[in-house]
Amino acid sequence: MRVGPSQSGRTALTPVPLPRTGRGAYDGGEPVARIPVDAATGSGTGTSAMATTTQPTDVVRSRPLAAVRAAPRPRQRALGERLTPYLFIAPFLVSFVVLFLGPALYSLVLSLYRYRGYGAASWVGPANYERLLGYHQFWASWSNTLVYWVAGAAVTLVVAFVLAVLVYHGPIGGKLFYKPAIFLPNVMAAVAAALIFQTLFAPGSGVVNSVLGVDIAWDQDALFGKLAVVALRAWHSIGWFFVIFLAGLTTINPELYDAAKVDGATALQCTRSITLPLMRRTFLFAVVIISITSLRMFAEPNLIFGTGDGLAPAAFQPIMNQLYLNLRAGEFGLASAVAWLIFVPIVVVSAVQFRLLRGDDGGSA
Amino acid sequence: MSMAARTVQPPALGPVPVPARRRHLDWRHWAVHAALLVAVVGSLYPFALMLLNSFKTDTEVLRNTAGWPIAPTLASYEALLTYEGSQVVRSFANSVLIATVSTLLAVFIAALAAFAFAKLRFRGRNVLFGALLATLMVPYEVTLPPLFIMFARLGWLNTYQVQILPTVASVFGLFMIRQYMLSIPDELLEASRLDGATPWQQFWQIVVPVSAPVLGAFAILHFIGMWNAYLWPLIVATSPAVKPIMTLLPTIRDPLIGFVTPWGMVMAGCVLVTVPLVAVFLMFQDKFMSGVVAGATKG
Repeated sequence: MRVGPSQSGRTALTPVPLPRTGRGAYDGGEPVARIPVDAATGSGTGTSAMATTTQPTDVVRSRPLAAVRAAPRPRQRALGERLTPYLFIAPFLVSFVVLFLGPALYSLVLSLYRYRGYGAASWVGPANYERLLGYHQFWASWSNTLVYWVAGAAVTLVVAFVLAVLVYHGPIGGKLFYKPAIFLPNVMAAVAAALIFQTLFAPGSGVVNSVLGVDIAWDQDALFGKLAVVALRAWHSIGWFFVIFLAGLTTINPELYDAAKVDGATALQCTRSITLPLMRRTFLFAVVIISITSLRMFAEPNLIFGTGDGLAPAAFQPIMNQLYLNLRAGEFGLASAVAWLIFVPIVVVSAVQFRLLRGDDGGSA
Repeated sequence: MSMAARTVQPPALGPVPVPARRRHLDWRHWAVHAALLVAVVGSLYPFALMLLNSFKTDTEVLRNTAGWPIAPTLASYEALLTYEGSQVVRSFANSVLIATVSTLLAVFIAALAAFAFAKLRFRGRNVLFGALLATLMVPYEVTLPPLFIMFARLGWLNTYQVQILPTVASVFGLFMIRQYMLSIPDELLEASRLDGATPWQQFWQIVVPVSAPVLGAFAILHFIGMWNAYLWPLIVATSPAVKPIMTLLPTIRDPLIGFVTPWGMVMAGCVLVTVPLVAVFLMFQDKFMSGVVAGATKG
């Protein structure tokens, strides 16, 4: 930005820096040219009115134009300098407020209205919530989600933890191969993973049926179908939690294990009395994350058993389908209410974690 | 022991003695390897299945799902590339474009804000940052109904921007980058400030180069997230012109028969969307996995 010399209030958007006697800053060469305002005003001395607090006063006095109004009190930071941090956060904050916070709050309001996307929205109070809570498919979707959540968390976290312990205490150098190989499924898109698992769990001559020599109608049976979804989720996310647990293990002081071994502890005893207690924080974090991702699950159940409309049969629908279907139907009030009802258990789980971690100053990870 | 080493033998000469416990590798060593190998087979098998089936015809996939291709063919790939004109190519390009633009924007604005939160002082800094962190708990799904209404009013349904804009302000990215920037020594910035650098110059000339690892890690994570996005594009991007590959894949139907899923083609499509990610992963493994961990070590 060019600033004319007559404008004494060079309220400089950029706080103008001081040149140093020993020129050539950190990148060597190119000394004064990097000071835009000085270049623009043609001030050869490179000094500036918008002095920082370290500016020697005699230099300021030598600049009559600037000194008139801008002569700063020594300790007062220039306006421009105070504004700068806000300019840095502005792009983030504006997009966050416009595209996340605003809509989030608005959906809370919207959940109390009946709004079809045209015409006026009519206030209905808690009617949307009541309607959902009295709707059998809403509860059926919740119970499906609960199965995915609990069974998925149990399988995923246990397997991931065992693998992490094996890799960490196991063969030296094995990490280089096992770590990426176990993490790899996490890289695949949920959509692709679900489609592949559809061929695995196909009824009739699917891979699982052929290998086990059974004939399970995975896409019909309410229990086995859910197990297939749990298997898909576990396969997809074990690698992620494995890496988290591995990182948690590295924060444990290895001398603890050495000391325990000297005392004659077995590997199992070490795991129980050293690893498990010290990984508390990591476990709680993992539980929160897997809860949140399970509650928000959408693609997997719908694509592994998707029918013509790309949605799972009622027996496998996750709760997120209620949001999707209401949104699709233009029931924006109901859709918002569903979203906030999904948020409730997330808050509960997070609050429990927070509670458990409070007063837990020690502990690792 | 170190005393003994110093007096008896000169350092760094002679073979390093093998620790005693490595000499008797017992059955447990092999049991661990066996268990881990089973896990690796389990994690890689679906990849193998996808690859094998992509080289079979659609009918062979149904009859011989688990086996080796009897007559390996590229027919599925050819059919995929000519599916509905060149819809697959178009959607693939859409995905690349959307994910790339979103990643560039997200990294840039998160880095700017992270710099301010980590290294500049301003009123309300900590309160604001704490408030932002608290919103991490709120699932983005709650914003979908209002966002849909907003973008519909703007006439932006079925555009690129409707798929990009809601994803650019990542609190997770802000947090991750800020944590890293906190470790940049203040002396470094102070020195450059005395040398006459503005915060803007400090940002570009010092902070961004020094933070390259975390910026890269976040960029990779964000790109993958965008590449794999499914729910939002399913709602707002239904027209073929802007549809990303992820929402196209499950809708692929046999071009001749219709209503039948051509599994060879679909598996070829899965290969198409998976191979780039696996390649990126193998190239940047450490960034990838350190990015995962960076998000986990908060608090």
